[in-house]
Amino acid sequence: MSLSNLLNDWTRYRQGIEEGGFHDYEHIFGMAIDLNKCIGCNACSIACYAENNLAVVGEEKFAKDQGMHWLRIERYWDEPDLGADDQEFQEHGASFLPMMCQQCNAATCEPVCPVAATYHTPDGLNAQVYNRCIGSRYCSNNCPYRLRYFNFYSYYETSWPAPLDQQLNPDLSVRDKGVMEKCTFCIQRIRVAKDTAQREERELVDGEFTTACAQTCPTSAIQFGDLQDPNSKVSQLWKQYQVKLGTTEQSKQNKELRGYRVFESLNTEPCVMYLDRVREV
Amino acid sequence: MHINEKDIDENIKWAEINKDVLKSMENPRPAYWVAIGLCLAMLSVAVVAEIYQYQTGMGVTNLNNPHMWDLYIATFIFWIGMSHSGTLLSAILHIIHADWRKPIYRFAEAMTTFSLMTAGLFPMIHLGRVWNMYWVIPYVTDRGIWPNFRSPLVWDAFAITTYLTSSALFLFIGMIPDLAICRDNAKGWRKKLYTVLSMGWRGDDRQWRNFRKTYMLMACFLIPLAVSVHSIVSSDFAMSIMPGWHVTSFPPYFVAGALYSGCAAIITLFILLRYFFYFEKYMTIAIMEKICKLTFAIAMVWTYLNLIEFASIWYGHDMVSKELLISKFTGPYSFWFWLMLFCGSVVPFMLAFKKYRCHMPTMFVVSLVLNLGMWLERWMIVTPTLSLSYHPFQWDVMWPSVVQWGIVFGSFGWFGLLFLTFVKIFPSVSMYEVKEMVYHRKREAGSAASEEGSAAPVKNEEGNKATPSGSGTPGLEGA
Amino acid sequence: MSGHEIKRRDFLKVMGWGGVGATLAGCDMPTTVTLEEGKEEVVSYMSPEEFVIPGIGIYYASTCQQCSAGCGIYGRVREGRVLKLEGNPASQINGGKLCQMGQAGVQTHYNPDRITKPMLRKGKELVEVSWDEAMAELDKRVGKSSSVDGQRVAWFSGSMSGHQSVLLDAYLESVGSKSHFVYEAINSAVSRAVNAEMLGDATPHYRFDKAALLLSFGADLLGASSSPVHYSTQYGEFRSAPRGMHVQIEPSMSLTGANADLWQPVIPGTEGVLAYGLINMLVNKMGYDASGLSLEVRGLIGKYDPAYAAKVTGISEERIEKIAGLLKSKSPSLVLAGTSTEGQRDGYNATAAVTLLNVILGNVGKTIESSGTFPFPQMAAKAGSSRDLLSFASALGKKQYDVVFFHGTNPVHTAPNYLGLVDNLADVPFKVTLSMFLDETAAVSDLVLPLLSSLEDWGTHVADVGGSTQTTDVTIQQPLMKQLYDDTRGFGDIVLSLLKARGVEEYTGFDDYYAYLRDAFSSTPEAITGGLGTKAFWQGSLQKGAVSIQLDKGALQSNPFASEVSEHKADPSYPMHLAPSARLGMWDGRHANIPWLQEAPDQISKVVWESWAEIHPSTAAKMGVTNGDMIKVESRQGAIKVKVYVHRGVHPNVVAVPMGRGHEQYGRYAKGRGVNPLKILSQVTENKTGELALYGTRVKVSNASDKGTLIHMGDSESQVGRKLVSTVTAEVFKNTEGGGNSVA
Repeated sequence: MSLSNLLNDWTRYRQGIEEGGFHDYEHIFGMAIDLNKCIGCNACSIACYAENNLAVVGEEKFAKDQGMHWLRIERYWDEPDLGADDQEFQEHGASFLPMMCQQCNAATCEPVCPVAATYHTPDGLNAQVYNRCIGSRYCSNNCPYRLRYFNFYSYYETSWPAPLDQQLNPDLSVRDKGVMEKCTFCIQRIRVAKDTAQREERELVDGEFTTACAQTCPTSAIQFGDLQDPNSKVSQLWKQYQVKLGTTEQSKQNKELRGYRVFESLNTEPCVMYLDRVREV
Repeated sequence: MHINEKDIDENIKWAEINKDVLKSMENPRPAYWVAIGLCLAMLSVAVVAEIYQYQTGMGVTNLNNPHMWDLYIATFIFWIGMSHSGTLLSAILHIIHADWRKPIYRFAEAMTTFSLMTAGLFPMIHLGRVWNMYWVIPYVTDRGIWPNFRSPLVWDAFAITTYLTSSALFLFIGMIPDLAICRDNAKGWRKKLYTVLSMGWRGDDRQWRNFRKTYMLMACFLIPLAVSVHSIVSSDFAMSIMPGWHVTSFPPYFVAGALYSGCAAIITLFILLRYFFYFEKYMTIAIMEKICKLTFAIAMVWTYLNLIEFASIWYGHDMVSKELLISKFTGPYSFWFWLMLFCGSVVPFMLAFKKYRCHMPTMFVVSLVLNLGMWLERWMIVTPTLSLSYHPFQWDVMWPSVVQWGIVFGSFGWFGLLFLTFVKIFPSVSMYEVKEMVYHRKREAGSAASEEGSAAPVKNEEGNKATPSGSGTPGLEGA
Repeated sequence: MSGHEIKRRDFLKVMGWGGVGATLAGCDMPTTVTLEEGKEEVVSYMSPEEFVIPGIGIYYASTCQQCSAGCGIYGRVREGRVLKLEGNPASQINGGKLCQMGQAGVQTHYNPDRITKPMLRKGKELVEVSWDEAMAELDKRVGKSSSVDGQRVAWFSGSMSGHQSVLLDAYLESVGSKSHFVYEAINSAVSRAVNAEMLGDATPHYRFDKAALLLSFGADLLGASSSPVHYSTQYGEFRSAPRGMHVQIEPSMSLTGANADLWQPVIPGTEGVLAYGLINMLVNKMGYDASGLSLEVRGLIGKYDPAYAAKVTGISEERIEKIAGLLKSKSPSLVLAGTSTEGQRDGYNATAAVTLLNVILGNVGKTIESSGTFPFPQMAAKAGSSRDLLSFASALGKKQYDVVFFHGTNPVHTAPNYLGLVDNLADVPFKVTLSMFLDETAAVSDLVLPLLSSLEDWGTHVADVGGSTQTTDVTIQQPLMKQLYDDTRGFGDIVLSLLKARGVEEYTGFDDYYAYLRDAFSSTPEAITGGLGTKAFWQGSLQKGAVSIQLDKGALQSNPFASEVSEHKADPSYPMHLAPSARLGMWDGRHANIPWLQEAPDQISKVVWESWAEIHPSTAAKMGVTNGDMIKVESRQGAIKVKVYVHRGVHPNVVAVPMGRGHEQYGRYAKGRGVNPLKILSQVTENKTGELALYGTRVKVSNASDKGTLIHMGDSESQVGRKLVSTVTAEVFKNTEGGGNSVA
């Protein structure tokens, strides 16, 4: 470590703090999820099962909360913002929240892994290296979103009785027991798109790749793309709703504007922006 | 109840000390074999459970999302905590010249080493892929992969291995003069063993001088190490962002808790050894009283730190932590939480009463209750935070499976086995130091008796001559 | 010349293009499909060698068969295996999107419980036999030389369309059977009937993307509807700025209801009164013009004053007025009736009342558009209804059939107990089931013919709902991979061989169903092919996954008619209403064998792998039960025991037990899991249409004194004050995003 390296790192760090971002990342893949449009139908979750070789754990293990749903649709009955929670009926319906790994830029899971099996890629992705994982599960304990799922068993032994195993996506592995896993923003798809772009000697183009969940979402509530690309749909949305990275509290010109990140006050820097649910009261 | 106020009878003959201690290492009685059998049985429960868990996966422990950790980590902290007693008694009290420690520090040190050996198993047992556990150790690979030095778990690995090595070394070094005594009195394989272990101890001046220096150096080294080890273990929690874990006072809290449980364990073993090895002469009630007072003081420190934690959360702005605290008081874990506070903060008040302090059966039970409280404390640190953290959708309350209980249970068998083996192979009371103690007491008594005062021995070569030696002809001076 | 004409017309009929003449437009054929890697021209999996590039996924277009919506799909194929299904972006129905059932199509295809060989009943057991033996048996029973009376042959199927339908019709004609029952447990037959009569179009296009207010009387558009993805896509637009408001009135919360701005519980069977109450208020208080209506209708409206409606429905007059006010202030609106309204003794009249609201509000033509006329009725969708199940059951009771074919539906599972289907079926001498799985119906059959999966088979489909008002798609289902099991056969192939066995000349020339389809496409009227050559047209169609057909323009009428709804009567001995709600996921039970869907939490209760009953907290309190406790739901036809899920999205007088589970057969994932509420349905039918009144069953519930826990996802139903789902009011939304800034 030379002095100049140290100074450079410091400059980068200061810049990151002051300008609210992670500027030297090649990409920062992010999402915008419109809860006004999310109908809670679960299509994204099953698309994720199909794309990412998620194990079906079965009744008993699911009952023990050992399921593997990388993308879960949470359903809440109360609406703290609308008040009046003691009504007789659920008059404004339900509150649905699709929750997948928030790909935090300051991910709390990363520093605690003893073997650096989870780390940040230059793509701004919070990656999980299955081969490196030793299963200390510290990362999951330190994830405020509880979006990391552990292979408590060798699920592959029971999940895909032949010929169901023929459906498995060869672009990514099937995980064995003792390994932590979580949503990767369909990194295998990003990989293919990046390789193609590289082969064709061009930049990655918004829209040539997307995650399985965003692709299948019937109401297009989920948008996925590169936040470093100012022209991508996602970065436009973040801009439109004045949601920024690099802050623990969004300061918006228009205070009423929708758009927030879950638990952003924890300074985890999630890359998923949620647009508030809307209800006519 | 008449109580002998002296912590040791200054008239004990040195030869008697040798005889008593060496006798304790011989001819195990049936009760010993029963104890060994019991420990083996307990251990085999854990071994079976671990094999099952290894083969099947961590799921058999009932761990889940959100409970990624549970009893293994809690018990790990428990055993680490237990290990602090030896350091406290041998190193800290050594430095501050509290010589009442002398008859009891040896087994406490052994306890340190063995509880560390027990504790060290848990981080391995709890790994999902235990076969890759060596990856947390920094070693040079062709791929240049290193562990993540930012992770408290890596610090743990360093801290525990260092502490284990140091405390084992400390135990061994402190035992050398005694091993020489053993050597001189042993036959057969024991003779060979002690010959090797006593490293040619003859008890000459140079050896004693080097020995004293080394011992003092190790003691000085061990004290900050012990404090840092449990601080580092507390970092596993304090360095996270979870409510109930992210607590600034955790390092001292953990250290206090560690000393607390260590002292309680010393009381337990003290009573057992005193009873089974007829060590009443050495492990006197006066010493017991001192440990009890020490334990009581630490219990109050621990209670105080608990209150600090509650207060800082209560008056803080972290709503999530506050909710968690309230749910600890009233929620699904409240029974265990209140039981912990009862065991940890209320029961120690019995130590404040001489009547109880001097009653061995009572103290035996009390010490076990205190350690139960301390075990519960660790459980209440680890689990409620995981159950009721930031994200309510993933709230859950989980009861550990029989596999977890089995391994926790078996760890006591493992510890017991190590300890039982130790007491029959090594002297569990430091012979040379007890001799020292007797000598000093006698000198003190003598100087008190004669007003004009004979020349008090000074620490010089002459003094060394007067110092009991384990070498040569054991018990010669006393004979 | 005329002879030639006739021949040509016959030929077209054989090929499915027969119809009422054709105003056919061309359609642009894409020359390439986008592959994951670069762009290459890919045609079909029929010549695989050229396209199997190791490590590279190739997409083929096909049609989803998980429900009858007929969404266009892309199958990702790698090394000869289909790995994942995506929506076909070119599809008019789903526009590149898929629901969870569609996504799970691969698990139907790769299901480990598929039957791989024909099975013939020998003695009591079904034993595996060769196709030769199976076909010989069929020949013996219904072949040319058999003595079967065509009148005594019936075909019982699920919804079907396209060339399979054409072939099947040809087969039934050749046998001389007129009995083709088309049954779907989840259907909209009553609405169709009402729409046909009142609007002159059974399946008009609902355009809630154009509506400012969607008022749904239990129509679960986003969940168990005739085209869930199509409606969900529209719903996304409906919710974009300017955001439409959504009011849902239903007995128990559906997925659609969970998204409503205002969710209003209602006693099942009183929706019609509520609709009339609203009309009354609109006409009498809000100045809507009713002069165009007939005297009879006006008289009827007068009868349902709001006070009366409030009394019957238990919904306050203020609430009725609020909804009426919304209908007035937010125009155009769209008012729809769903299963809970239709599935009553007078469901037809209630649905008509709901539809009448559209007429009064002037929505017809604005948010309800004509679906046009599909020019090839042979291929048009045969939509299922439960009336066909009832008439089939009664025909069975009269022992009208010697041979029954089952395909694409599982009546033994979904039919209520009171129909006695199993007993009556036992009297049918020969029952054939064409199925991929040994389901309950197959298990009682005498011959089970294993089908190819929809990802292995050829076919064409015409969706019932969806598409634009100008064109509709004949979607193509093509094999995405080589068949998994050699001894399974395509539906078209089987029907074709049945036809051949009957010796029908026109079909003897086709080797297989593929050859038939190729010929059918060769004979496509030029107006459709747009002058493309046979091969180019075929390849283009395969790439696109569909052939676009210009629709004959239709127009909606308004024929409001009086439909008096009878007063809702309480039943003191069975005071509760059973809501056997259908869910996106298990559907009518056909997806219970898909592990992904079994493990996908129900959208409302978040329960997995098992059945549950939803009740209101006040009901639960009365019974002394909490989440997970067992209750007994008892109707006059039987009882089921099921764990309870308590939430405020149910009317206190209603117990909702979602259908889909409770299989006695159907493979490892479905068998013996949960309960089937359809079994205890009472003998109530809709008066006018003869449909099964799905929501007409009265039950009593009791505490079964068995504590338990539901297997579910998520342990808190409250956000506990955390900002997880933040909600803003529509006003804020309007201020910030208004009409202009469209979102995502």
